Amino acid sequence: MMSVLRPLDKLPSLNTATILLVGTEDALLQQLADSMLKEDCASELKVHLAKSLPLPSSVNRPRIDLIVFVVNLHSKYSLQNTEESLRHVDASFFLGKVCFLATGAGQESHCSIHRHTVVKLAHTYQSPLLYCDLEVEGFRATMAQRLVRVLQICAGHVPGVSALNLLSLLRSSEGPSLEDL
Amino acid sequence: MSPQKRVKNVKAQNRTSQGSNSFQTTLSAWKVKQGPSNSKNISKHGQNNPVGDYEHADDQAEDALQMAVEYFEKGPVKTSQNKDKTLEKHLKTVENVAWKNGLASEEIDVLLNIALSGKFGNAVNTRILKCMIPATVISQDSVVKAVSWLCVDKCSGSTKVLFYRWLVAMFDFIDRKEQINLLYGFFFASLQDDALCPYVCHLLYLLTKKENVKPFRVRKLLDLQAKMGMQPHLQALLSLYKFFAPALISVSLPVRKKIYFKNSENLWKMALLAVKQRNRGPSPEPLKLMLGPANVRPLKRKWNSLSIIPVLNSSSYTKECGKKEMSLSDCLNRNGSFPLEQLKSFPQLLQNIHCLELPSQMGSVLNNSLLLHYINCVRDEPVLLRFYYWLSQTLQEECIWYKVNNYEHGKEFTNFLDTIIRAECFLQEGFYSCEAFLYKSLPLWDGLCCRSQFLQLVSWIPFSSFSEVKPLLFDHLAQLFFTSTIYFKCSVLQSLKELLQNWLLWLSMDIHMKPVTNSPLETTLGGSMNSVSKLIHYVGWLSTTAMRLESNSTFLLHFILDFYEKVCDIYINYNLPLVVLFPPGIFYSALLSLDTSILNQLCFIMHRYRKNLTAAKKNELVQKTKSEFNFSSKTYQEFNHYLTSMVGCLWTSKPFGKGIYIDPEILEKTGVTEYKNSLNVIHHPSFLSYAVSFLLQESPEERTVNVSSIQGKKWSWYLDYLFSQGLQGLKLFIRSSVHHSSVPRAEGINYNNQY
Repeated sequence: MMSVLRPLDKLPSLNTATILLVGTEDALLQQLADSMLKEDCASELKVHLAKSLPLPSSVNRPRIDLIVFVVNLHSKYSLQNTEESLRHVDASFFLGKVCFLATGAGQESHCSIHRHTVVKLAHTYQSPLLYCDLEVEGFRATMAQRLVRVLQICAGHVPGVSALNLLSLLRSSEGPSLEDL
Repeated sequence: MSPQKRVKNVKAQNRTSQGSNSFQTTLSAWKVKQGPSNSKNISKHGQNNPVGDYEHADDQAEDALQMAVEYFEKGPVKTSQNKDKTLEKHLKTVENVAWKNGLASEEIDVLLNIALSGKFGNAVNTRILKCMIPATVISQDSVVKAVSWLCVDKCSGSTKVLFYRWLVAMFDFIDRKEQINLLYGFFFASLQDDALCPYVCHLLYLLTKKENVKPFRVRKLLDLQAKMGMQPHLQALLSLYKFFAPALISVSLPVRKKIYFKNSENLWKMALLAVKQRNRGPSPEPLKLMLGPANVRPLKRKWNSLSIIPVLNSSSYTKECGKKEMSLSDCLNRNGSFPLEQLKSFPQLLQNIHCLELPSQMGSVLNNSLLLHYINCVRDEPVLLRFYYWLSQTLQEECIWYKVNNYEHGKEFTNFLDTIIRAECFLQEGFYSCEAFLYKSLPLWDGLCCRSQFLQLVSWIPFSSFSEVKPLLFDHLAQLFFTSTIYFKCSVLQSLKELLQNWLLWLSMDIHMKPVTNSPLETTLGGSMNSVSKLIHYVGWLSTTAMRLESNSTFLLHFILDFYEKVCDIYINYNLPLVVLFPPGIFYSALLSLDTSILNQLCFIMHRYRKNLTAAKKNELVQKTKSEFNFSSKTYQEFNHYLTSMVGCLWTSKPFGKGIYIDPEILEKTGVTEYKNSLNVIHHPSFLSYAVSFLLQESPEERTVNVSSIQGKKWSWYLDYLFSQGLQGLKLFIRSSVHHSSVPRAEGINYNNQY
């Protein structure tokens, strides 16, 4: 049975917003989840963590409002894992309910994946790309705050703004290369 | 000297850390004169030596270091069998101490000579050079001695390259540089070597003073350039020469290139940070810029406290000033440059402006307002180049989110940014390096770190075409803007308001200096206005979306209206032909807001728009020619539409007729019977409380109030009451836009231009 994630295959729960974090860095994901749950939010937040997709179909889980793929720029395996997992997500998810998060960009010497690769990946899947060095507590807390706000919009809890609407706001044009500066 | 005594001697110097060279490394020191067994015995039992007057805990480490240094001094002992192991052990000792605490200047002296004398192999020399990290300073004598080894050619080419890189990286830590400057000719001759050329160029760039620029050197550089082509390091040196002696160089140098040298400090970067940290002590508060003559000299710091911004140190401020008499050659040699430490007042600057020599540490200019004046007036390309180069390097190294390794130095980075912003504010213009830094680091910014400084830097971006800046800056900023808190949104709007203000100020100054139609600069007036107009429209788009995202928050609306308060007066205040209205999303949100101050502000803005539009129209009629900046009738139409809605709501009690049009059938469905008065100055939700307090003022004992009783004469008393409560915007709006007659109506602006 094809366990592809679809955005609308379940009914939403009352005042609940669910986010799914997919990535190979268990410790970082756990810390990010903790930071998100500490945020002050009118809706009830649920955070699911997964190393990769597809998710086991035996578990009863609520409707997922936002998927965040966490790519560690220091590890080629992380990118591979993400690319594998992307195949198990239905195309309609990419209308604003998917987001990429690249960690480790601040330590250039350790990066084995070029930033441009992830930028291209995000561009191919028409989804926004966020940068955050999740190891640093301060940056992690701010990113958690941002993810909560995005999640609220994706779950439909902000009147007048939809996930697709937010997506069109976040999509930026490809700018000139910085090496020319 | 017996070895035992020597150990004690060195120890004593370590304790007091004097910079003098009493510990001479004579050539005989490493000739195995004393019985090798004797000295070896002592070095091996160094730890048991009763040197212990000092009972400190790091005695052992010091001993080990002494052992290691002596071992190297002795040179390779050919007879010993476990030579490699001992060598390794001692090397490790030296490296550990160097990376942890840094080496004293005497130790650096010894080890530097050893590394360059070729006594040990290439690998050992490389390792030694890589760990030459000073604890405090490096004495210039050690450098001179080291350079003398280069003449003898005992070390390999790669060691020489590494030595030059080390010299450039540690340049700031060398205590004095007069003797090194005397070796200028030697360094210059090394330019021949292709491998050394870039690094020697960098060193010369740091060393060069006016008297070093000679015609034969210029010729030599031009020859090199002809041979090797346009190399950035040669260009750098040539630009510097051109600055000092413009007459000697006639070849034109490219203007745009601002960054010349690869950052060769990478090897020692972490260690350098640690050294600066050590020497700094408590981080100083950012100093105010000194302006008047009554102030003390700007930086009274110990030599050892090195901060991100270097201490002001004029290159020609010699210690001879203390001497009673100066030799004749000294008198003749003094090129008459004014020592910068004595520069304290503006009149002094004016008197000496022709003989000021800028410090080799360009960064020290940032803290000194007089020097900032100077570099602003001098407007010489190489000076600015050096300054921008230093600024770019420092920003790149010290940025804490761009290079996560520096996260602990947050406070210093914030202070540094504060200083830069103060300097920009003082000069009233932005620095190119800051702009480049913003574009590079914005994608990685989290929006919270150094937020106020970063956004202030945004507001100092120099004027340019909006379409160019948008993908570099605004797209990334927008991404942060839409996903962050309301406070971030407000901060961004405020900094964009300041950005607009800066652009308008520059443009309005520019117009007076160049003719309107054709200008030699890149943009025409029309192009500039276009760019500003695009910025305003962009902010309008950001604001409208933000209002949606924040569910019409009043707090956010205040900041948005602040922005438009600046926009509405562009024509009158800045004398620029531009009038841009606010978008409907903002207007109607403000009109229907629950907050009286919002409505008041809206009234004020509408009043100012009216003034600007009428002034623009009048000027056009007066000039009798169609200028190229024709205000389209569409703007006037839109304004009249807004005006009609507003007056219809607030004054004439005809809210949903001409302005905001809603079908009467829909209005019936709402079930609100009395909707006509519901938005006027009495019944509007934001004014209701004023109406009630007005009535209660009259008759305080009333239990029920009927606000509809405010009619006729009471209406004008009520208005006076409102004006007395501080609603000046409302007052101006009503006086100018509402025609008082038996049939009150809105006074729109007649936009049918007749010429």
